[in-house]
Amino acid sequence: MRKVAVVGAGMTKFVRRALETPKELSFEATKAALDSCEMKLEDIECVAHGSAPDAFDGIHQKGEYLADGCGGWNKPTMRVFNGGATGVHAVCHGWYHVASGMFDTCLVVCEEKMSNAMPHAQGFFLTIFDHITERPLYPNLLWIFAMEMNRYMEAYGYTKEDMAIAGALIKNHALNHPAAQLTEKVTVEDILNSEPMAYPVYRLDVSPVSDGAVAVVLASEKVARRLTDKPVWIEGVGWNVDTSYWTNKDLYYPRYLEVAAKMAYDMAGIREPHKEINIAEPYDPFNYKALHHMEGLQLSPRGKTVELLRDGHFDLDGEIPMCPSGGLLGVGNPIAAAGTVKIAELFYQLRGEAGKRQVPGDPRLGVAHAWGDLMQASSVVVMGK
Amino acid sequence: MAFRERIEKNTGNIFRSSEEGKYFPVVSRYTAGVAGQKFLEEIKENEKIFGTRCSKCEITFVPAKLYCERCFARMEKEHWVDVGTRGTLYSYTVAYEEKDGSPKETPSIIGAIKLGDGLLFHWIKESSADDLEIGMEVDAVFKPKGERRGSLVDIDYFKPKK
Repeated sequence: MRKVAVVGAGMTKFVRRALETPKELSFEATKAALDSCEMKLEDIECVAHGSAPDAFDGIHQKGEYLADGCGGWNKPTMRVFNGGATGVHAVCHGWYHVASGMFDTCLVVCEEKMSNAMPHAQGFFLTIFDHITERPLYPNLLWIFAMEMNRYMEAYGYTKEDMAIAGALIKNHALNHPAAQLTEKVTVEDILNSEPMAYPVYRLDVSPVSDGAVAVVLASEKVARRLTDKPVWIEGVGWNVDTSYWTNKDLYYPRYLEVAAKMAYDMAGIREPHKEINIAEPYDPFNYKALHHMEGLQLSPRGKTVELLRDGHFDLDGEIPMCPSGGLLGVGNPIAAAGTVKIAELFYQLRGEAGKRQVPGDPRLGVAHAWGDLMQASSVVVMGK
Repeated sequence: MAFRERIEKNTGNIFRSSEEGKYFPVVSRYTAGVAGQKFLEEIKENEKIFGTRCSKCEITFVPAKLYCERCFARMEKEHWVDVGTRGTLYSYTVAYEEKDGSPKETPSIIGAIKLGDGLLFHWIKESSADDLEIGMEVDAVFKPKGERRGSLVDIDYFKPKK
């Protein structure tokens, strides 16, 4: 396998309802990523595209529909999609295009436009449930998260306040992210006093609904060294699926992530991730999910995560800063694009270009994670300089 | 036993995906986009059809687009070109059946109309299929101003040049 670097990144602002079409959002992110490393479309050899369910953009076969906005005209172009896990998985997908030796440059573009769905994209989520054992109850996606959150808190004696502390920490990082949807500081009290949706999930425990796109440029070592003095290397990739019966999982522990993370850590030569990883971008559609995933990423011992959180272990200047980008909770959640924000964040952080969000102390190694499909898929990328 | 009866013998009492009043009603409500909005406004307000011309690639995209898909140049104001309302018939088809398979009372004609370097699909009227020839010129017929609402069908149809 050849070494692969991230050499550029770009994104649109994340908003509740964009005027831009999904193609136009993709174009804006792709153009920004190319501009960031002074590359032209003609320098790109292939496109690895990611976008979650077709229903969100309201166009079937949207991989083909979006291709030209992703710079895919007349190039080998392929879409991957596994729901929420898409944004990081698309980078794994781009990685093997280059690592294999087939291509020297690859654009990875992820886009989602959630606002087409009226009144709310939840209506499309209904159809992911089993039609015999679940759909007769007319379930809602929030039910799954509520069940998980409740069981997770029960398993370790965590409280809703603990979860809100994690939520406020992550959301407020987004105030310093130029693409963020969140514009006002959120306090722990704001989260605890927000409207109950499906107990124990309250409105501000959840990420917002967003439109947006993110792109990164991957390059082989020889091209990367020609383009930049600060390439950020993809050190390891991993992905995995657990059982597709979400009802058959340990709701308190993300086993799907443990296996994916170990795959990526093995490739990166990391034996003790909690000591070696300097920045973590766990997938955080809900505040509890960030903590849940820190445990799955082997960055925090099971049941001790709240203690570490309250001790400042996951603060921007802590041992392992958690979601310095502001995450899905703060930057926003255009499904596939939200995962790629995490890749872009590691790119900025490891180059020392994250501005007010910059993690101090010259971070050298970071991990990004996304989770999705029928709640059982995970994708993990380890990046280093 | 008919197919539907055989099916319903087993499944008649279980879940159906769109049971009245219980499913989550959701529809897709799209935006026209940055380029699409201006394209539709020109049709609605001015009876004009616009494309965008990439001078580097020497292509006039119709309908107008925000970017050139080949070189990724952003199509700014100066790239917008009025391609006129007369195009040439690049291809056409005649639809004889309704969506449910029943015969159409009057067959409808759909044309691929070349404008700039792009094709617009639209109805062809005021002509029988027998009188159509590929390569012939066709003119856009717009709905009356009061009936236009910023849509592709503000162009009512195309008809052969008189």
